[in-house]
Amino acid sequence: MTRKNDNNEMLKGTLDMMVLRTLITGDAHGHTIAKVIERTSEDVLEVEQGSLYPALHRLEDRGWVSSYWGASENNRKAKFYRLTAAGKRKLTSETSRWRQMTRAIALVMGEATGSGGQE
Amino acid sequence: MSWRRFFRRSSSDGELVQEIDLYLAEETDDNVAQGMGAEEARRRAYLKFGNPARVREETWKMNSVAPFEGLLRNVRYAWRVLRRNPGYALLAIVTLGLGIGGNTAIFTVINGVLLRPLPYAHAGRIVHLDQIAAKLGPDPMGLSVQEVRDFREQNHVFSEVAEYHSMTFTLLGSKDPERVVTGVVSGNYFDVLGVKPLLGRLLIPADDSLTAPPVLVLSYAYWMKEFGGDQHILGRTFEMNDRVHTVVGVLPPLPEYPDANDVYMPTTSCPFRSAPTMIANREGRMLTGYARLKPGVTLAQANVDLAAVSQRLAVEYPKSYPASAGFAPQTAAVEQELTHAARPTFLILLGASGLVLLLACANLTNIALSRQFQRSREMAIRMATGASRGSLFCQLLTESMMIALAGGIVGMGIAAIGSKLLTDYVAHMTTLATGIRLDGSVLLFGLGVSLLAGLLFGVLPGYVASRVHLTSLGDGERTAGSAGGTRIRSLLVTAQVTISFVLLICAGLMVRSLYNLLSVDPGFKSANVLSMQISLNWTKYQKSEASRSFFRQTLDRVQTIPGVQSAALSMAVPLNSDMGPMTAGVVMEGQPLHPNEPAPQINFELASPDYFRVLGIPLLAGRSFLSSDEVQAPMVVIVNDRMARHYWPNDNPLRHRVAVGGGDKKTWATVVGVVSDVHQYGLDKEPADTMYFPVDQAGLTSGHLLLRTRGNPMQMAAQAAAIIHQIDPQQPVTEVRTLDQIRSAQLGTPRVTSMLLTAFALVALFITLVGVSGTLALSVARRSKEIGIRMALGATKQNILKDVLTRGMTPVLMGLGLGSLVAAFATRALVKLLFEIKPDDPVTFIAIAIVFLVVALVGCVIPARRAARVDPMIALRTE
Repeated sequence: MTRKNDNNEMLKGTLDMMVLRTLITGDAHGHTIAKVIERTSEDVLEVEQGSLYPALHRLEDRGWVSSYWGASENNRKAKFYRLTAAGKRKLTSETSRWRQMTRAIALVMGEATGSGGQE
Repeated sequence: MSWRRFFRRSSSDGELVQEIDLYLAEETDDNVAQGMGAEEARRRAYLKFGNPARVREETWKMNSVAPFEGLLRNVRYAWRVLRRNPGYALLAIVTLGLGIGGNTAIFTVINGVLLRPLPYAHAGRIVHLDQIAAKLGPDPMGLSVQEVRDFREQNHVFSEVAEYHSMTFTLLGSKDPERVVTGVVSGNYFDVLGVKPLLGRLLIPADDSLTAPPVLVLSYAYWMKEFGGDQHILGRTFEMNDRVHTVVGVLPPLPEYPDANDVYMPTTSCPFRSAPTMIANREGRMLTGYARLKPGVTLAQANVDLAAVSQRLAVEYPKSYPASAGFAPQTAAVEQELTHAARPTFLILLGASGLVLLLACANLTNIALSRQFQRSREMAIRMATGASRGSLFCQLLTESMMIALAGGIVGMGIAAIGSKLLTDYVAHMTTLATGIRLDGSVLLFGLGVSLLAGLLFGVLPGYVASRVHLTSLGDGERTAGSAGGTRIRSLLVTAQVTISFVLLICAGLMVRSLYNLLSVDPGFKSANVLSMQISLNWTKYQKSEASRSFFRQTLDRVQTIPGVQSAALSMAVPLNSDMGPMTAGVVMEGQPLHPNEPAPQINFELASPDYFRVLGIPLLAGRSFLSSDEVQAPMVVIVNDRMARHYWPNDNPLRHRVAVGGGDKKTWATVVGVVSDVHQYGLDKEPADTMYFPVDQAGLTSGHLLLRTRGNPMQMAAQAAAIIHQIDPQQPVTEVRTLDQIRSAQLGTPRVTSMLLTAFALVALFITLVGVSGTLALSVARRSKEIGIRMALGATKQNILKDVLTRGMTPVLMGLGLGSLVAAFATRALVKLLFEIKPDDPVTFIAIAIVFLVVALVGCVIPARRAARVDPMIALRTE
């Protein structure tokens, strides 16, 4: 049980970070956010919808994103999310934490993993 | 997870649904754009999204406060269950309401009387100081002016010692001439008590000087009653004892302690206390003392110090402290004095009401348990669908808590009414009764008791329910209940019988004690006698001739009222608990005094010629007083039977002489009559040796007029008072009561105590009976199949009847055995309240055990007969 939880927590953390990162380029609704993450990861990461919407909800709850209702590209009523100032700060700190982490992991795993860090 | 989110969960769920719809629509569009068919595009979109319900659930949970959510659900569920069983809910709420109400009402009294801090600063350090002469009698002797001074100057333990006595004076200047109860106190008295004035100032040491102008301080109650709380009362003047007194202050509301004083004056204003002869007389013991312990000094240390002072005085003034009298200082904490009469009674009543509540809880547990066994299938289903044991337990506990809280609300209503009724009763025992009211701590107590009750009867069924096995989903449920359940219930019944038996024994003892009191022959006939107090204004009747003539006129004229058979005067009225006995050392002529023993102390009373006739006290020998027994005539005395047997056991007491007073000032009186004994100072007190002197020869200034009437005595009261006012318009008439009223007032406290205990005990018996009978009926219902089989196999109705009765009566017998043991110890708490009956009185124990057995047997016979009527065919077929 606990192990699975830990796993979840980490995934949640990364998902939150990626969602915030996505919103830096502009406000977006859930579908766009998922699309952008998938496309920029060259379809390696497939966003599980089951966690995207709870994640958005959580981010909004913590004040990192705000939301408003608008029209989507296809003119449908959609809930758009916008990065708040607090969200931007969070993104910065999360990014640097992430960099440290990946660097550390790369060191442990040896040079083989190569291009792990984004220096 | 904020509360805001919690309350708008539904609307945010609605938004989420819209978001999901949008996602599906966009994804479908994308898929179509990639060239899929509409149907396939939608299918893929759904596939990719996964389960929308799960997303919604997860978000919903994120918005919930889990424990609160669970509680709300449990409350809603419990509400539904109770709504479906209104009978059970009502029974449980009323039972608990009665139990909680009884407890809270008693607690209200305890809170008001025993727990509320006294309105004195550092009340725990205030001590009542007096002295006793152990060999002369148990009552305190009082202190003289010199003794108060000596104790004040020579002790090392008190920061201050104040003197106090109370007298009744006539106060002129109000609407009518009035008799006011006056506390006569030294200037530091209110400092000792630690009381601050409500208006103006209180008495100060400067008021104690002989040159100070006379001042008065009013009690709060008197100020409200007589002057309607007039703010401008300060400076108003009243005439008392021929001097003009100025009101300088008003006291805050205080307990009527030491007496119900209307006004307070300094010692120098009291004509008796300030008389030079009184001040000079070391044996003029008319005062008592109040003192404040220095910080850190205990009462025990104070007693040691005071004993040393007392010994020093005895050495210095041997004549005033004869060794034969056994003089010693006596102290008591004021807190203790104020509450000692009520404390044992109310702790016992709280215990009794607590036990009744416990019984009620036991019964409800029993009912809830059997409901639980019926619901075991429901519980098993809920468990099978994923409820945890903990959540089942919580849910059942919520059910019992809701019942308990509802019961608590009913109980508070009962307590509000009950404590009002109790206030009068408590007023007989302590002057603190005015402090009885519902307040925060009472509400808290009620809530606490309710929650405790809910826990008590919720935990066991909850536990049983959470132990349910999934197997009870099968057939098992229809056969007889588990042996474990039956055993728990039998134990509960045993406990109930034990508790209620103990309560019944206590109530039985109290009732028998009351009966003993009621059947005491007081020695006089109280029917149709009116009593009214007439205390003369001493400044007006300073000459004894004046008072004699007043009383003679009064007696002559009230006898002319139609309906009055006879009239008499006396110093005291029998059974009037306001006053203790007056005693005097007496010398019997011809009987040698033992040099090292004090003269025998004998109660004395003053009576007019018709006194014994009015009260119906039989004259055993000699004659009653005559109008010829006047001042100039030879002194005569009438003794009671007890005294006659005591001092002249083999002789006719008539014509013997007795002398009152010491040394050369003896006055001899001849015994002219013997009357039978009277319970003068309490039905529970043995009559003492008593001498009666004629009022004319002894001189009476304050006494009672007694009228024996035809018909209702109260109807004569107005005419008698009118006659007295014709003789002296300024003469107040007080305490107009019939002797029957005085007598029943004496019985008031024991009567109410035993009534309350009996009520609690009967409720307990009833609850227990329901428990015994209900448990047995349930077990019969469960075993009907078994009984059917046994009958089919040849068991007779008698066999079945006997078997069921044995099962029913076994816990009762066990409970009775256990109860007798417990009662043998528990009843010792009652010792102080019992009159002429021992707490382990075997007759009471046996009688109540028999009553209990009979009642329990009746309770068992009903289900037993039902068992015997079981039709084997039907019982077997229902299976």
